[in-house]
Amino acid sequence: MLVKLALRNVKRSARDYLVYFFTMTVVVALMFAFNSLLFSEDIRKMFEQAMIMEAMLGLATFFIVMIIAWLINYMLRFILEKRSREFGTYLLLGMKKKQIAKLYMRENVLFGAGAFLTGLVLGVLVQQMIMSVLYSMVSMDYRIHIEMNKNCLIMTGSCYAGCYILALLGCKRKLGKMNIYRLMNAEKQNEEIKESHEELKKWLLPVSGLFLFLFGVWLFFGKNWSTQLVLLFLVGLVLVIYLFYMGLSSFIVCYVRRKGKLIYRGQNLFLLRQFSSKIKTMQFTMGTLTALFVLAFLGCSVAMMFNFYQDRMLAQKMPFDVHIHSEYVQDTFAAELAVIEENARIKEKYLYHIYENGTDQVNVYLYTHLKVFGDMYKKEDGSPDRQVIAQKRNFTYCTYDTYMGLTDYNHLRDMIGLEEVSLNEEEYVIHIKDRVLRETGDFSDQIVVEGSQGPLRFSGYFSEPFSQDGHNGGDYVIVVPDALTAKMNPFYSELAVELVDAAPENLKKELDQAAKGLDFKQVDVVADLDEEETLYANSCCGSDSIVVYVADNLVRDNVVVEVKCMLSTLIFPMLYMGLVFLCVALTVLSIQQLSDSAKYRFRYHVLKQIGMGAKPVAGLIFKQLALFYLCPALFAMLISGIIAGFVGGKFNYYSGAATPVGQYLGISFLLFFGVYSIYFAATYVGFMHNLEENSVK
Amino acid sequence: MPVSTGGWEQEMKEYINVCEVEKYYGSEAGMTKAVDRVSFTVAEGEFVGVMGASGSGKTTLLNMLSTIDSVTAGHIYFQDTDITELKPDQLSDFRRENLGFVFQDYNLLDTLTMEENIVLAMTLQKKSRKEIVKDSEEMMKLLGIWELRDKYPYQVSGGQKQRCACARALINRPKLLLADEPTGALDSKAAGTLLETFQNMNETKKATIFMVTHDAFSASYCSRILFLKDGRIFHELIRGTKSRREFLNAVLDVLSLTGGESDAC
Repeated sequence: MLVKLALRNVKRSARDYLVYFFTMTVVVALMFAFNSLLFSEDIRKMFEQAMIMEAMLGLATFFIVMIIAWLINYMLRFILEKRSREFGTYLLLGMKKKQIAKLYMRENVLFGAGAFLTGLVLGVLVQQMIMSVLYSMVSMDYRIHIEMNKNCLIMTGSCYAGCYILALLGCKRKLGKMNIYRLMNAEKQNEEIKESHEELKKWLLPVSGLFLFLFGVWLFFGKNWSTQLVLLFLVGLVLVIYLFYMGLSSFIVCYVRRKGKLIYRGQNLFLLRQFSSKIKTMQFTMGTLTALFVLAFLGCSVAMMFNFYQDRMLAQKMPFDVHIHSEYVQDTFAAELAVIEENARIKEKYLYHIYENGTDQVNVYLYTHLKVFGDMYKKEDGSPDRQVIAQKRNFTYCTYDTYMGLTDYNHLRDMIGLEEVSLNEEEYVIHIKDRVLRETGDFSDQIVVEGSQGPLRFSGYFSEPFSQDGHNGGDYVIVVPDALTAKMNPFYSELAVELVDAAPENLKKELDQAAKGLDFKQVDVVADLDEEETLYANSCCGSDSIVVYVADNLVRDNVVVEVKCMLSTLIFPMLYMGLVFLCVALTVLSIQQLSDSAKYRFRYHVLKQIGMGAKPVAGLIFKQLALFYLCPALFAMLISGIIAGFVGGKFNYYSGAATPVGQYLGISFLLFFGVYSIYFAATYVGFMHNLEENSVK
Repeated sequence: MPVSTGGWEQEMKEYINVCEVEKYYGSEAGMTKAVDRVSFTVAEGEFVGVMGASGSGKTTLLNMLSTIDSVTAGHIYFQDTDITELKPDQLSDFRRENLGFVFQDYNLLDTLTMEENIVLAMTLQKKSRKEIVKDSEEMMKLLGIWELRDKYPYQVSGGQKQRCACARALINRPKLLLADEPTGALDSKAAGTLLETFQNMNETKKATIFMVTHDAFSASYCSRILFLKDGRIFHELIRGTKSRREFLNAVLDVLSLTGGESDAC
């Protein structure tokens, strides 16, 4: 009998909670698809960073399980409240609490199992989509084939079951505590509008605004970020997210009480009161939804920033097909060339040196003037602290400034399709990363490059992409006439190679293998330079951060794929979380509105009685739903806009990319509103359907 | 029992004319006749009551008159307009401009205060702010709920809620006030106050009132009562010059003759 009743109840409530069912299905589908990345044999074989991807997805799964457990718990409590009268009646009829709990659990297990199975079917489709996106991101072909891994199924099933168990535990406790009276009256609990200290609480709205303004100013212009201050702002932000709604609701209540002009126009009075009372009773939920939206926006935007980086920046970072660094100036790169020749056809090869003359003026200037180093290398009076620079140079720059001869420079420029540069014997140029130059501006007056007949004249900067992460200097290389480099010491050797075709898949691995075999031989050759400092003095990697790929052997076509894989380990989990958070938040909004439609039916019925036509009522419902849906979204857009602006600025700053942050935030918002409009349309249609069931013509 | 109209309609200006109205519910297999070929008229400024047992069709009749429900057959003329022919949009305009409603369960909006419930009815009519403030204050004072203006419906008694509903119904000076068991949820004192308000509105403001009730005490405030049975009018009582007590006895007589329900106080 209980099973029959449970089945009937599920069937009956299925339409009311269709959105919830839809979300649970989508969540299972996403879980299955992303989990399949964890267990995919293909991926393991294909990508070196599969382990990182697994770790990141595992982390994402943890947060997702938590949030889904919250959603299920929220829904269980919500449905319990809505059906409390029914459960009260069961109690009155003589059913035991245990039986009712069992009935409710059975219904939910049936509901959950239904969503799980549907989700798995959808999950196979999503899996194929994700796989093909992943493969196309790393420029590989993907042939559709369905991978049903046992472990993946077990993991998806246990995550899902885990969510349910977590949620059910909380709910069972609540059910156990209820008595008939409370069950019969639970429905009415939220109907009373309690207003107290509204005049005081309304100030929370401007205070929230002020806080966000200060937060923005602090993010963009703040310099001294102590841990306490960071914590204070973070706690403040969380508080503001929650208190904002209290403030907004009270602000509207006070406005209506003050009889502001707006309330005397059309349906405004009704709309404002509906909205304020709804957010008053739901302020905690609204806060949580805002937080979820913020995370979804940020996840999406950051994922797109990385995507931009891998699309545009990676190729720029490595203008040469193959670029090999050697700390040893005598290196002829014979072994490496042999490997390359064995695996590919060489179009052009060029072996050259980077030089030093024992000076470090540019290094010191950059160490003390780039924001990324702060005051680390400065003494209290602001002058450079040479001791610290020597001890903690962190391989950003080499121990000495890096120089290059004009002939080498022009040859390399020619190889990558740049125009030649001409210099007089008394002139020099600096080739520097665009990002660094933008920050420092012209600093040529701070350095003196001594020529044979006195200081050279500075002739200009060049900032095209030039493989400057340790190959052609850390962030810069000073280009001087050949006559001058002839008098300098070769610092390290470089080999630049252009290939006829794309590099084969394993060229980098082969080169790395070859280099390993060479180490001992080379060390023997330069055994007299046995001091560690001397050995690594000519190693550097530049001041870029966030996405940095530093290696002696750079094979562009291989590295691009490798870095793309690495970045997709960030992009995918972020999109995954963003999407799930978005769906969860929108489900809560939808279910809230749909289940309230019964209460609203009465209100609209009254409005129709006092003369509102069907069209104006439909318009009013649209406005009401839009207001309710837009409020947390707009607030989240404001917060995430501030944070994404800051994060994007930093991302560009540290990675050297010129990511159009605003554009990506815009795309995130568009994506968001795409998903949003599906839920909104479903809610609106469902809402109207519920109202029409018993309506006045 | 014969219907006695006594040519009363000719003395006053005809306002509403209900002609051969029928209302059926259900499918062809199981048809229920809720209202069966009912005809009557209501004159301007009249206070008409409709009485009958549960299921006699009185609420259905009121719903059709108030355009909330459609007729299956027949016509309802409101002055010169046949409201059974109006389209949905025209119907809502008609309701807004001509009708006021008072229901047993008040139908107040729980998110609005007492005053706001009244104000909303006026803002939907696109009245000016000045007019809204002035009229709503006057109406609330008239119905004795001015002190309660900032309270929410759940904070006041049933009688006070009903007076608020009454104020909302009357604020736009409707041509017809429709009341469906308005005293059904009230205690006798509150019911008396409300009915006196109706009577007062009827006498001083010349409001036309059409009230459905199964309570003889409430009905005794009317100037004319239609008795409904199985969807048909089977009797009509006119108060004329009778006192309220005499009229109440007459109503009770009719009810005792027909074995109808009575909640007379």
